[in-house]
Amino acid sequence: MADKMMIIDGVQCPFTNERNVLEVARNNGIDIPSLCYCENLSIYGGCRLCMVENEKGAIDAACVMRPRDGMAVKTNSKKVLDSRRTTLQLLMASHRADCLTCDQSGTCKLQEYCRRYGIEKEAFDTNTYSKLPKDTSSKCIVRDPSKCILCGLCVRMCSEVQNIGAIDFAKRGKKAFVSPGFGMEMADTSCVGCGQCAAVCPTGAITIKNETKTMEKFLQDGEKKVVVQFAPSVRVGLAEAFGMPADVPVTGKLVTALRRLGADVVYDTDLTADLTILEEANEFLNKVKTGAKLPMFTSCCPGWIQHVEHAHPHLMPQVSTCGSPMEMMGALIRQQFKDEDVYSVAIMPCSAKKFEADRPELVKDGKRVIDLVLTTQELVRMIKEAGIDFANLPDSETDAPLSKSTGAGVIFGYTGGVTEAVIRYVLADASPDTLQTIAECGVRGLTGVKVFEVTAGDLKLRIGVANGLGNADALIEKVESGEEKLDFIEVMACPNGCIGGGGQLPGTNARKAERYKAMLQADMDCEYRISQDNPDMKYVYDELVQGRAHDLLHVHYPDHDRK
Amino acid sequence: MDHFDSKQVDEILAKYNCDKSRIISIMQDVQEIYNYLPKEALCHIAEKVGISNAKIYGVATFYGNFSLEAKGKYVLKVCRGTACHVRKSATILDALYAATGLNEDKHTTDDGLFTIEIVSCLGACGLAPVVMVNETVHPQMTPDKAKALIEELRAKEA
Repeated sequence: MADKMMIIDGVQCPFTNERNVLEVARNNGIDIPSLCYCENLSIYGGCRLCMVENEKGAIDAACVMRPRDGMAVKTNSKKVLDSRRTTLQLLMASHRADCLTCDQSGTCKLQEYCRRYGIEKEAFDTNTYSKLPKDTSSKCIVRDPSKCILCGLCVRMCSEVQNIGAIDFAKRGKKAFVSPGFGMEMADTSCVGCGQCAAVCPTGAITIKNETKTMEKFLQDGEKKVVVQFAPSVRVGLAEAFGMPADVPVTGKLVTALRRLGADVVYDTDLTADLTILEEANEFLNKVKTGAKLPMFTSCCPGWIQHVEHAHPHLMPQVSTCGSPMEMMGALIRQQFKDEDVYSVAIMPCSAKKFEADRPELVKDGKRVIDLVLTTQELVRMIKEAGIDFANLPDSETDAPLSKSTGAGVIFGYTGGVTEAVIRYVLADASPDTLQTIAECGVRGLTGVKVFEVTAGDLKLRIGVANGLGNADALIEKVESGEEKLDFIEVMACPNGCIGGGGQLPGTNARKAERYKAMLQADMDCEYRISQDNPDMKYVYDELVQGRAHDLLHVHYPDHDRK
Repeated sequence: MDHFDSKQVDEILAKYNCDKSRIISIMQDVQEIYNYLPKEALCHIAEKVGISNAKIYGVATFYGNFSLEAKGKYVLKVCRGTACHVRKSATILDALYAATGLNEDKHTTDDGLFTIEIVSCLGACGLAPVVMVNETVHPQMTPDKAKALIEELRAKEA
């Protein structure tokens, strides 16, 4: 209940425990501009764009201003607008504005604000941007210091949320820049490629590697078929780019769009999410039975896998050997098209998948199982480039014989989904009552860390679910100190899981909650809800895997840091 | 640095209990040993106190007193504070640059003999303009005296 009131631009704005005036204003429909503020990160107060005028006529940054009952501020006074315009002009002076060819063009917040505040020309010397070279060493992200405005969002995201700290500020004053330590390249750091830095970057200083041109080449190659798979969360991360509500899944339209782009075969990665569950749940039950060291960790998130390699290599033997659903689908595609050379492309919500696809462990029978990974963002670009009216597309279905999936596969897209799917498999009962009981066991919700217990027959399991690597590290610390005893831990590197992936369109917490809702709906819409009910599994095991499950569906990552 | 022996750094770390809030003191003590902060030492400290390489690099480059480059045998601190400035310390700096071949971006001579640093105030304004060579103060400098100073030090080393 809102019990306090402040007056913003003469409008009564109720608030409760918002941490600053900026949040109060935004919650009341007044969009104060800001380039360095993120609701999930600590407050920096560095960009000076969110200036507001108080009762005394002084201006200060709304992000560092505590709201008080009865307080009155103006967000659009002459003083405020003058200040904002000068700040924007100063920012432009240290930003290389190649907007026509910039990857971030159209989604750049600096660009948006310059237009919003009618910045007409450069007031200062614009040649003062950083001349440090572009860093394209990472397979996932591209850093371009010449566009960095030193807002520090990436730095805070990487250290506060992900607990990695691959990049930080170096030097100071006008010589300051953001960089890995000692001028290293991104590829040589402990960066896991999660792309959360790019998701919060307000300009084109950090972007996800754009590989749409490679995809174009694949599609234009008349010789080889293009086989495309798309991940569970892509169906809920896409709609908002086309002016559609984010809380409805758009699977059918997505399949149609991929076909129109020229994909010859379209598969839903949900199917191999089911396959992952069959393999992973059995691996887990086997570990429980044989008294192997627990907890067992999930393995579908490539950011998490890289984090284990860098920060917890000794835990690798406890990580499931199951390949990710993307890897498994890639392996199945190679089996399905054994006599044909096809392009295997994966549409993922994730930038780290680009790294995963390139790993030597994902080469089976001498061939990469995935040739190319495109993110949701890159797919959106391609759909727009092709002039496809996505919102009005008819629905279509994925291709047989790998066309069936279950709700348990769909829910891989959010934090706790893999775990819920495993529990469904272990309880092996698709009745609405059982599904409801599972949904209420503590596995659901977007909280950073969830710990709960599940009873399956005489098995009593204590399970942990973490999203965001900082949360994962905190949970691991509890397990290693003996404070918490767990049997199974699911980790997703990105906050909220894949619905908040670095390859998705950047979004607010509210937007991610809508995607979550859409995922729950997509699960409910499925004919089958537990992985063992997937009717295509028989074909998968009998015709494609043919006894090579260990070889094709499992992956052994090194248990030491390769750096 | 070819072989980094962490023993001395470990002793310093132990003295401060690997406490990351004492990072500046740790780095100062390490710089005392090496005359600068070797990358290997910084990475070692970062790992031991539990901060990232990027963070310790940020701290090391934030403060003018920390150096990431090995310094010369003679570190010349040229004061560019207000009192020295009005007494024309700029000409002294130019003379030292000319005599050593150094400049604003290159701080240490290739033979490892001289490092020239600019400092804001040495607190010896009455002696302005001042240059310090290691721990020795050279008061009331002139461009000619600066040139002679370099020649004298060179001759000593020859």
